[in-house]
Amino acid sequence: MGAPEPVVVKPGLFRYPVPVGEAPALLGCRCRICGQTFFPRREVCPDCFDTGAIEETTLSGRGVIHASTVVRIPAPVGIPAPYAYGYVDLERAGVRLFALFTGAAPTAFAPGQEVELVIGPIRVDAQGREVIGHMFRPAGRETDR
Amino acid sequence: MTPFGKHLERSLRDLGREACLAALRDAGVRPSEVESGYCGNALAPALQGETGVGQSVLWEVGVRGIPVVNVENACASGSTALHEGWKAIAGGFCDTVLVVGVEKSVMPKGTMLNVGAAELEAQLGDVFPGTFALMAQQHMARYGTTREQIARVAVKNSGHGALNPYAQRRKALTIEEVLGSPMIADPLTLYSCCPNSDGAAAVVLATGERARRAGARAIRVAGSALTTGTYDARRDLTFWPSEIAAARQAYEQAALGPEDVGVVEVHDAFTICEIVHCESLGLCPPGAGGRLIEEGATALGGRVPVNPSGGLLARGHPVGASGVAQAVEIAWQLRGEAGDRQVAGARVGLAQIMGGSQQGDVRACTVHILVRD
Repeated sequence: MGAPEPVVVKPGLFRYPVPVGEAPALLGCRCRICGQTFFPRREVCPDCFDTGAIEETTLSGRGVIHASTVVRIPAPVGIPAPYAYGYVDLERAGVRLFALFTGAAPTAFAPGQEVELVIGPIRVDAQGREVIGHMFRPAGRETDR
Repeated sequence: MTPFGKHLERSLRDLGREACLAALRDAGVRPSEVESGYCGNALAPALQGETGVGQSVLWEVGVRGIPVVNVENACASGSTALHEGWKAIAGGFCDTVLVVGVEKSVMPKGTMLNVGAAELEAQLGDVFPGTFALMAQQHMARYGTTREQIARVAVKNSGHGALNPYAQRRKALTIEEVLGSPMIADPLTLYSCCPNSDGAAAVVLATGERARRAGARAIRVAGSALTTGTYDARRDLTFWPSEIAAARQAYEQAALGPEDVGVVEVHDAFTICEIVHCESLGLCPPGAGGRLIEEGATALGGRVPVNPSGGLLARGHPVGASGVAQAVEIAWQLRGEAGDRQVAGARVGLAQIMGGSQQGDVRACTVHILVRD
């Protein structure tokens, strides 16, 4: 018996597996009428109320931390403590989203810090499957990308 | 209301019955006179596998044959039931209404209340203390609020709770104990977080004429507002727009302002919340909540005592009951029946509570203003 197949935390948030040769990216949506961008995708723009005006859009994988904290208790969904999370403002789209932080010590994240998107396992679920989600790590230099 | 705490051997019906009987007797109202019932409960479907808790509880006290509505609005379930009951009276549909909030949310030691688990944020690992830790971090960065100021909320409210026989935590904590308790989510420590609790609270609402006829020492509901989040993804994390709106509506209804309020109960599920609520309710300017607690203005004996009951931090937080318990506390305070924790001479009281999380914003917020005429 091999390891069970991984599952995504929620369908439609990102392409998984990440297509070969592409950078990981989150899938949001944009209202063609007012130009607002949303993540996760929603079916109706809350301001324009036009179901036909929503189109899928790929969001920038780079952003800046707006708020961060270190959690010292395990999450009920199966993340051992300590771990860091917070809100990230994505480049360009005007989207702020909640995400786990990875790729450095939990205490190493702070508001204003540049981060980049990672798609990978965030935890193991009750069935022993890896759960794939979006996280952010300290941004590399442009030339590294 | 029942004492809040661990009632491992008691059922929701049992707790609810005790609270309803106390409220009906206090009001001088017989069960057959109740024209509508509203029950706040948030977790029974998930934790006890029970639905229709309102009908179960009201059956216990012989209230039957009338409309009974079960209300779920997370931590604001009880206060939303109160708001709906108020609407039934204010709208002219009923003369007498029974409002009850009941919850059993004490968890086995070492386990966390896993509610709202289907939300994406929870699936990604978000936990309630972390949500409020992010808010605290923002408040500290923006306004220079200190860890000590935030911890003082728990010191104050534990001191108040020590005076309240209905409180779950009855030990006054020192600032060293609050700051030195285990870190949960930076900067919030264990004693910065309210406990899970069991308990029930109830009130009878009636028209002014009906209340006078019953000879009850009635307290007037001068304002009652319920709002929903704005869900603006880029909102300022140092306050909730829904609370600003609810406070404005309630003050307008009551034709009163923050300067008129003599006693306040707020949703201090986590210490930082009380600081934010004091600002949003107009007890101090935005950003000044840390200094307000530090100066002692919100302690018993201060300018405007906040959470004389001990708040959620000390009285405890049986989710669906807390909003009703706040109204009970304010009523006792305004009648001068609050014992050792009595606020001297208060004529106007305010209760605020909120609940739920959607896109990082709160789902429901209520503000009630009660007046002794």
